[in-house]
Amino acid sequence: MKRSFLFFLTTLFLSHLSFAREINVVKMATGEITINLSAYQTGRSQSSRTFLSVLKADLNRSGYLRVTSSKAAINVTGKCAANSTTIQTSFQLYNAATRRRLMGKKYTQSTKKTRALAHKIADEILFAVTGKKGMASGKITVVSNRTKYKELYICDMDGSNIRQITKDRSIVVAPRWAPNGKAIVYTSYKRGYPSVFLTGRAKPLASYRGLNTGGAISPDGHSMAVILSASGNPELYVISLRTGAVKRMTRTRRGNEASPCWSPDGSKIAFVSDTSGSPQIYIISKSGGHAQRLSSGGSENVAPDWGKNGIVYSTRQGGRYKIAIADPVRRKLKVLQTDWADYEDPSWAPDQRHIVCSRTLKYHSSIYLLDTVKDSPVRLIKASGDWFSPACSP
Amino acid sequence: MNIYKWVSFSGLAVCAMILSGCQNPNSGGPGGLGGVTGTAIDDDVFLTDQGGLPTDGDRTMFEYVYFSYDSSGVESRETQKIEAVANYLNANSSKGVILEGHCDERGSREYNLALGERRVLSVRDYLISLGVNDSAIQTKSYGEEAPLEMGHSKDAWGKNRCCVFAIYTK
Repeated sequence: MKRSFLFFLTTLFLSHLSFAREINVVKMATGEITINLSAYQTGRSQSSRTFLSVLKADLNRSGYLRVTSSKAAINVTGKCAANSTTIQTSFQLYNAATRRRLMGKKYTQSTKKTRALAHKIADEILFAVTGKKGMASGKITVVSNRTKYKELYICDMDGSNIRQITKDRSIVVAPRWAPNGKAIVYTSYKRGYPSVFLTGRAKPLASYRGLNTGGAISPDGHSMAVILSASGNPELYVISLRTGAVKRMTRTRRGNEASPCWSPDGSKIAFVSDTSGSPQIYIISKSGGHAQRLSSGGSENVAPDWGKNGIVYSTRQGGRYKIAIADPVRRKLKVLQTDWADYEDPSWAPDQRHIVCSRTLKYHSSIYLLDTVKDSPVRLIKASGDWFSPACSP
Repeated sequence: MNIYKWVSFSGLAVCAMILSGCQNPNSGGPGGLGGVTGTAIDDDVFLTDQGGLPTDGDRTMFEYVYFSYDSSGVESRETQKIEAVANYLNANSSKGVILEGHCDERGSREYNLALGERRVLSVRDYLISLGVNDSAIQTKSYGEEAPLEMGHSKDAWGKNRCCVFAIYTK
């Protein structure tokens, strides 16, 4: 009995493997373009070697390119050299079939920005080959409890280069980038009560009596969607950042609102409300009116982020949080295949193809990158402590 | 809430806004905060600032009020605890209370912030119905961010779904 069960498990595992490989091959044939960097020469310096390894990892992570040392569709020739203060690189990109030069560039940069330089070039190569905006130069803001407090951090899109932003010894919740990608809106208890702050600005953006949270600045930078309980119940509001005018969007005496986010064109807001009895996602026009329910499946649907390829959110199905992508116009839904862990707080990467989210297993959280095309989670942050509530720069 | 209370309250709120000049640098212009331009945007929004409110208090004086999973309603077996606080506040006009709301770790962080707030707001409503002045009650939701009980058991979760009374001196 035991043996036959083992046999069953083994065959299941093997069939799963071959299935996975088949998909991989199809993707290689349809999606990924091979690129050869064997002729990109580096000196012996640590910086130049770091540069090339970061560049290769970025190109592979893009999902569109595959670095190979054999025959490839794209060939790169180049040089990289560094001394203790400066890194210099020049490179040329060729279409192997036509031998046409696609691109040639030269950079000089401080060695402190070696990784940033590799990220920039990775995005330039991806754009030259595919015409697509890359994510390598993007940033992730994230909350961690690695000190005993919950502070705000920023890291690169590959999870490296982690910097602590707040040192308030308090609690940070719900960070989001301002649309210019230069500041972060977040909720903090540093003044005693939960208020909404903007990095680089001492005065809070919202600090009314009660709850102030979920601040999200509109794409044009003029307004902020926010959750306030000043009326005696948590409701969705829009505050004009120019005039200070406050507009109430919902009236749900029996319900909670949470987690607003803007549509890419700034005309609508998606948010969470539990007026139906469980937390679900709704869409409301910026000018107000009736909110339309978006989500249906799952016992809970929370934490939406609206990108150019849909509204991504966390859906609770069979006791686990999974990542779902909804097309609000065609009413289509895709749930990404993930393992037994909880995947929460998804945020679209700047390439609008990948999603960064938290993954929680056995009460420990870290930050993962998901490819919406390939369903393959990659762990980005390996540092100690719990990491959660990530948000990608625009 | 009766209309006189509302008028005096929003009047106070508007004065506070004008005096502090915060939130709205162009308070005379169009689209100012409710009341400033004479055209209230919201009839029931008291946009008073948190600034200057006490942020801490004595948590050792009263029992915590506990809640069911994903619920913000005050259960009948918990009402006595709130009545004890109401009696104390009604007898001690120099005292106020911060209602600190907590949730268990299940569910989304942002949703839990709102849920914690709703829990303490229902306690606040009950205190007001027992005659406590609104200005003596502050609400502060911690959601799941500051659990009172560590651990991931049903027991720990139950202990974390609560309202804590922090008594301060005005």
